[in-house]
Amino acid sequence: MSAIVIRDLFVSIHKQEIIRGLNLGFKQGEVHAIMGPNGSGKSTLAKVMSGHPDYEVTGGDILLDGESILGLEPDERSRRGIFMAFQYPMEIPGVSNANFLRAALQARLPEGEELEATDFYRRLYEKMDLLEMRREFTARAVNEGFSGGEKKRNEILQLAMLEPRFAVLDETDSGLDIDALRIVAHGVNTLRGPNLGVLLITHYQRLLNYIIPDYVHVMSRGRIVRSGGKDLALELEARGYDWLRADEPQTVNA
Amino acid sequence: MSTSTPSLELDRDIGNFFYDVKSTRDAGTGLTEKTIDYIVDAKAEPDWIRDFRKQALRVFRDKPLPTSWAGDELSAIDFDAIRYYLASGGATKRTWEEVPDDIKRTFERLGIPESERKFLAGVEAQFDSEAVYSNIKKAVSDQGVIFVGSTEGLKNHPEIFRKWFGKVIPTGDNKFSALNSAVFSGGSFIYVPPGVKVKHPLQAYFRINAENFGQFERTLIIADEGAELMYMEGCTAPRFTTATLHSAVVELVALKGAKIQYVTVQNWSPNVFNLVTKRGLAMEEAEIKWIDCNIGSRLTMKYPGVVLKGRKARGEVISIALANDGQHQDTGAKMVHAADETTSNIVSKSISVGKGRATYRGLVHVPKHLKGCKNNTECDALLINSQSRTDTYPAITVRGTGNSTQHEASVSQISAEQIFYMQQRGLSEGQAMSLAVNGFVNDLVRQFPMEYSVELKRLIDLEMEGSVG
Amino acid sequence: MALIMPACRPTSRPDAGCATIMSTATAPPSLLLPGAVRSESPPWFQELQAAAWAEFKSLPLPARTDETWRYSSLKALSLDGYSTASETSADVRDLVAERALRRRAGRMVFVNDRLTAIDDPDPSLKDRGVVFTSLEEALGTHGELLRKHFMSQPARLGSQKFAALHRALVRAGTFLYVPQGVELPQPFEVFHFVDGENASVFPHTLVIAEPLSKVALVDHFISLDASAPGFACGVNDLIVRDQAKLAYTSVQDWSQAFVSVQINSTLVGRDARAMNLALNFGGRYSRLESVSRLEAEGGRSDMLAVTVAGQDQEFDQRTHQDHLKPNTTSDLLYKNALFDDARTIFSGLIKVEPGAHRTDAYQKVRNLLLSENAEANSLPGLEILADDVRCTHGATSGQIEEEELFYLKSRGIPLPAAQRLIVRGFLNEVLDRLDNPELQEHLRSEVDRHLL
Repeated sequence: MSAIVIRDLFVSIHKQEIIRGLNLGFKQGEVHAIMGPNGSGKSTLAKVMSGHPDYEVTGGDILLDGESILGLEPDERSRRGIFMAFQYPMEIPGVSNANFLRAALQARLPEGEELEATDFYRRLYEKMDLLEMRREFTARAVNEGFSGGEKKRNEILQLAMLEPRFAVLDETDSGLDIDALRIVAHGVNTLRGPNLGVLLITHYQRLLNYIIPDYVHVMSRGRIVRSGGKDLALELEARGYDWLRADEPQTVNA
Repeated sequence: MSTSTPSLELDRDIGNFFYDVKSTRDAGTGLTEKTIDYIVDAKAEPDWIRDFRKQALRVFRDKPLPTSWAGDELSAIDFDAIRYYLASGGATKRTWEEVPDDIKRTFERLGIPESERKFLAGVEAQFDSEAVYSNIKKAVSDQGVIFVGSTEGLKNHPEIFRKWFGKVIPTGDNKFSALNSAVFSGGSFIYVPPGVKVKHPLQAYFRINAENFGQFERTLIIADEGAELMYMEGCTAPRFTTATLHSAVVELVALKGAKIQYVTVQNWSPNVFNLVTKRGLAMEEAEIKWIDCNIGSRLTMKYPGVVLKGRKARGEVISIALANDGQHQDTGAKMVHAADETTSNIVSKSISVGKGRATYRGLVHVPKHLKGCKNNTECDALLINSQSRTDTYPAITVRGTGNSTQHEASVSQISAEQIFYMQQRGLSEGQAMSLAVNGFVNDLVRQFPMEYSVELKRLIDLEMEGSVG
Repeated sequence: MALIMPACRPTSRPDAGCATIMSTATAPPSLLLPGAVRSESPPWFQELQAAAWAEFKSLPLPARTDETWRYSSLKALSLDGYSTASETSADVRDLVAERALRRRAGRMVFVNDRLTAIDDPDPSLKDRGVVFTSLEEALGTHGELLRKHFMSQPARLGSQKFAALHRALVRAGTFLYVPQGVELPQPFEVFHFVDGENASVFPHTLVIAEPLSKVALVDHFISLDASAPGFACGVNDLIVRDQAKLAYTSVQDWSQAFVSVQINSTLVGRDARAMNLALNFGGRYSRLESVSRLEAEGGRSDMLAVTVAGQDQEFDQRTHQDHLKPNTTSDLLYKNALFDDARTIFSGLIKVEPGAHRTDAYQKVRNLLLSENAEANSLPGLEILADDVRCTHGATSGQIEEEELFYLKSRGIPLPAAQRLIVRGFLNEVLDRLDNPELQEHLRSEVDRHLL
């Protein structure tokens, strides 16, 4: 059973400190939600976990099974099983979705081993069906000209295909209408299981009606200020975030 | 806002008048070393200038006409038939009362003294070769700002003048910068001390009065560290049947953190060849912005440029050109990136009316091993009639992986549907056309000082009269 | 000093005195000879070649001050040291097999300007009047057609001297004639190989697509030795008659030491469609001049290019979209990926002639700079002499965006593979415009071959 432990993390971007002493741990098989107001540092946490070059870790560590991942390039982190579903997925002109996924899967194979094409397409179509995506989608360039909902579904498709140990979903619900949200949530719920740990980052409680978390954490000013079970999300929905802001931060070890 | 600011004289008909003024000093027709000696003696200039001018004359003679650009049009200039220096009266006057009546009435008719009172920090008025009037508000001169004619500048402020004169635009830059270097007279010398921000614009007004004449003003503006200034120039000439030449050189130096805005509204009569070299040097975090409106003249060749010499320097050219029947506006911009993180922006809009021809030429250069440089260029051309012509010739060089440039150009016309729609609402075809043209340039016109933008719109209306049908 | 030798008549045996074309006192003489024409050529052609040789010698080499050669590295254009490619026994069958289309209408293979193999096209094609043969053969069998169309267009973009050289020395190439109403679903393919050091070749392609016909052709230019210097001076003339459709592709894969000048002319008739795609990979200095003339209403020309430039390669691309008649369309998309010390020049002009109203003309060049020393020069031009038109051009130069790279890396794709994927995607956007999926796939693999 793998685990990620974030220990006393400090992160800056352009010399501005965003995360200030964050502690968090989660295991494969668990679903954690991180909620918090805008500017609390939620998306920064996602970016820094995936190794975005603009973010500087000025203190603390992120450990995967006891080993720091901070020195690893983003692609190495990905191959070690940390997946990030982006809030704003990039458009990659001219690169088809199929080629993109093949390249990503190929990168996971030992050198000299070739990805098996028929098997690849069989799996791809299966996952696309799960997400109610049409076949012609494979030939379209990655995210190019996609609607907001299509982009988010595409992120979940990649998650399904790459089979990571941990997935960080950064505001995956933003910009989705109710139908798209249901499809995306259904996708995530299907993938849920003992082999996947999920970190759901969201501003709204809405998503948590569809993907029920095991734990909920509240982030404010770069720290986790409250942790609890799924009921915490409902409390936040009713009371907003303000009552937590003044709280002393707590250390949580899940 | 005033309903009219006559100082700008954008109305072609108001600019087209002529009061006979007898010049007391005249270097005669044609250009030889003797012409230069005459000018130097008449202006009582130091010897280094005499040498500088004579050297420039040699360069001028050696350089071919840039015919590959504007074609044969330049061959209509007969350099031997031009008078290179004409002046009357004595030294530049500090009050309008001292300006001789026959000259003063020209500027009064152009409304210069009135605008000066209204919104300007200083004014220089040039009549043919010499500045006849130059004055700066006391509050501004008390801050150490120098605003004088070029002759006075080189004589009285040699320590600043010589340091930058001819350094931004070398004599040999092109045939017409060499010509100007040989026979220059008039133009402004401005120095703004460190940290001084001149609140109101300084203005120069260039009036060509004589026939068969060449005006060669020379302007040098230095904004010291952190200084800010806006300079505006306006130009007119009466309509003659023979070619008149206007060939200025304008050099701007913006030292660290300084900002210079240089606004030109030219409304030359259709016999003027307007061949002007304008360039600025922007040091670290400095900003130079050329705002340029070219209306009138027979041929204008003008490509304001910025050499981005210091880190994070910014250069901008905003340009509007309107080419009417028989006119060629060959304008554009040059941006030479010479330091990291420099940015430049070019927006050019041209309108070709009747058989008019508007040409955009651009040069953007981002050499090796620079990082974080960006250029954005947009050129849009509007064609009004079926015989109108537009050309676009940019040249963009980029090296390395740290820089990006983007050039976009479009050519369009006013759609018949648009015109019809407006006509249906009761506008005449001409009014509809004017409205559409004003709409086309509107975003740029707004960048001009308010006093200019009102006049610009009015001028466009005048130019569009008779363009339909 | 250049020598003009009246004794150098085309039918005379070349001798040492004729050899000097543009040598200087210090440089070794060029070994190009005006003797390529064989006595079996028809007299008109011999005369034409003789006149061309004289023209070639009388014209100056391009100079730095020529606007059409702005930014070009002219030193590459000294022709000293090259000789016309001689007969060779090189076996190219494996190479052809490796790069051949799965399905094709016919194929010719030239090695050193000599026809070595020809697939007899489907006999039914012959019956329908399709002619697919070598230039040499066509001079005998279709003299009148050739006389009318052979290099009927002048070189308009600066290479008059090289056009004259080609005319004087051409001996091999393709003659493809498709009669009215004949539609061919599969492309023809032609291979031009060159073997040997300092060899020069003059490949020619002439395609005449008669009204309502449809045809495609792929030209391959390949050096057998990937490092041998050499010189190619090719011409391709594409004539697309009313309502005909022609798709032409060239795959230029000369050696890294090659100098190449390729001159294209495309004439587009009423409601006709022309597509001209150039894949540029090889050569130390490669100049491509491409002119599309839209000569009748309703014509459309698509001008496409994909260039992978590495090492110290220079690609010098000059284009002209000439709209002579109303209601015509042209659409140009050139994409350059620049690695190492590579340099590209794109100079294009959209010209809308007086009266060519309701023209749609687009021109787009995009440069992807992938190294510190790469240099891209863009000169996109417009000359518009008619009003009711829609014309745009754009030129961008930039690099792979960090965010794009990060996205790929976040999916576990290592940096070099991620870069390659993005470059491939960037170039594929050009190939996406092809409407033949099989050819598209084939050309994608050509691009991939050069991105490894």
